[in-house]
Amino acid sequence: MNEMELLRELAQETPLPAPAELEAARARLVAAITTDPATYATAVAEVTTSQPYPPAGQSAGPLRPPAPAAVLTAARFMHGGAISSAAYLIAALPFADDVKGSVLSYHLAATPLIITLVILAGLAVIGLWLWMARATSQGKNWARVLSTVLFGLATLELLSALELIGKNGIAQALTAALTWLSGLAAVWLLWRPASSAFFKSARAARSRPPSQIPGP
Amino acid sequence: MRRRRGSAADDDAAVIEGSWREPERFAVLFDRHAPYIYRYLARRAGRQVADDLVAETFLAAFAKRDRYDLGHADARPWLYGIATNLVGQHRRDEARQYRIRQAAAAEPEVPGHADRVAADVTAQAMRTLLDAALAALSAGDRDVLLLIAWEQLTYQEVSRALAIPVGTVQSRLHRARTKVRQVLAGTDAAAAYEEITTNE
Repeated sequence: MNEMELLRELAQETPLPAPAELEAARARLVAAITTDPATYATAVAEVTTSQPYPPAGQSAGPLRPPAPAAVLTAARFMHGGAISSAAYLIAALPFADDVKGSVLSYHLAATPLIITLVILAGLAVIGLWLWMARATSQGKNWARVLSTVLFGLATLELLSALELIGKNGIAQALTAALTWLSGLAAVWLLWRPASSAFFKSARAARSRPPSQIPGP
Repeated sequence: MRRRRGSAADDDAAVIEGSWREPERFAVLFDRHAPYIYRYLARRAGRQVADDLVAETFLAAFAKRDRYDLGHADARPWLYGIATNLVGQHRRDEARQYRIRQAAAAEPEVPGHADRVAADVTAQAMRTLLDAALAALSAGDRDVLLLIAWEQLTYQEVSRALAIPVGTVQSRLHRARTKVRQVLAGTDAAAAYEEITTNE
């Protein structure tokens, strides 16, 4: 008999627990399950299909399941992206003419008009971040797709910003990299299985026609 | 085979995937594996600690179920990995468990037939030696050895459970077995035990 067999023999002295011994642990798990947002979503869906009329003071519109942690974290990253985009805008302003020049392949003077356009473009980007954060938190799948596309564009922007490191200083490249990393984290989280389940159930809740709600 | 293997429709991966949208399905995983995880924890850290740790194992698993790799139909290695990490946070309890067993083994059972008493005494002496050997192992070596010897996981499953390469599993197991063998080798109890088990 070798040491492995001896160990197995030793292990056999510990019997499997009786079901009663696991009751407390199971109760703790069940308590965690009942407070999980996805459980709430399921319960809400059941209520929506079983209640003949919406409660007084509430619209008959579909109830949206609460967003899971992955989507909420993605939205936080998007808010972070908005902040770093604002920082990027501030860092890029002194070089507004160079930025335009590099994009359009000819030099533009830093006129008030050009600076205004750069600021407006920067504000639009910030607005996009906030809009995407809000829409994805609401379970809108198109926002998830659009966010992914915008992240692709941000990748191109990062590449062009990296070319300007030596020219415009490290601050601009750093803020561009931070913005890109925020986008990467957000997109990754938005495509996690739990997020996909949330977008799917949110779409199902929105697309459920009132006729499916059983009458009295 | 100590456990039923489910079909693809109700294997662990399917249950976990289903629990993403219907969390209550996760309870199926508890009912399926909790007794074995509990026993593993009880062997390592004692029954009292196991009561808490088995709950913590499944709570942790439930909290990170969305990160489960659905390519693995069997969730046991994943659960054992979580349980082993939790044992790692209770090393004192584990060490105490070995001491308790050693103390218990030092007190022979009720007297009976002379041969049987001798066999019991020898077996208890072996347990004492084994517990001492286990206590002397490094945590990593002990994790590998016990997951294989007690829970009968394969090298690949231990690799998944502990997030280490298969080669590391093999080297840790080899090292752990060598150390345990060295503790057992050459002792009177080991020789007597060998003789008794051979005669049986």
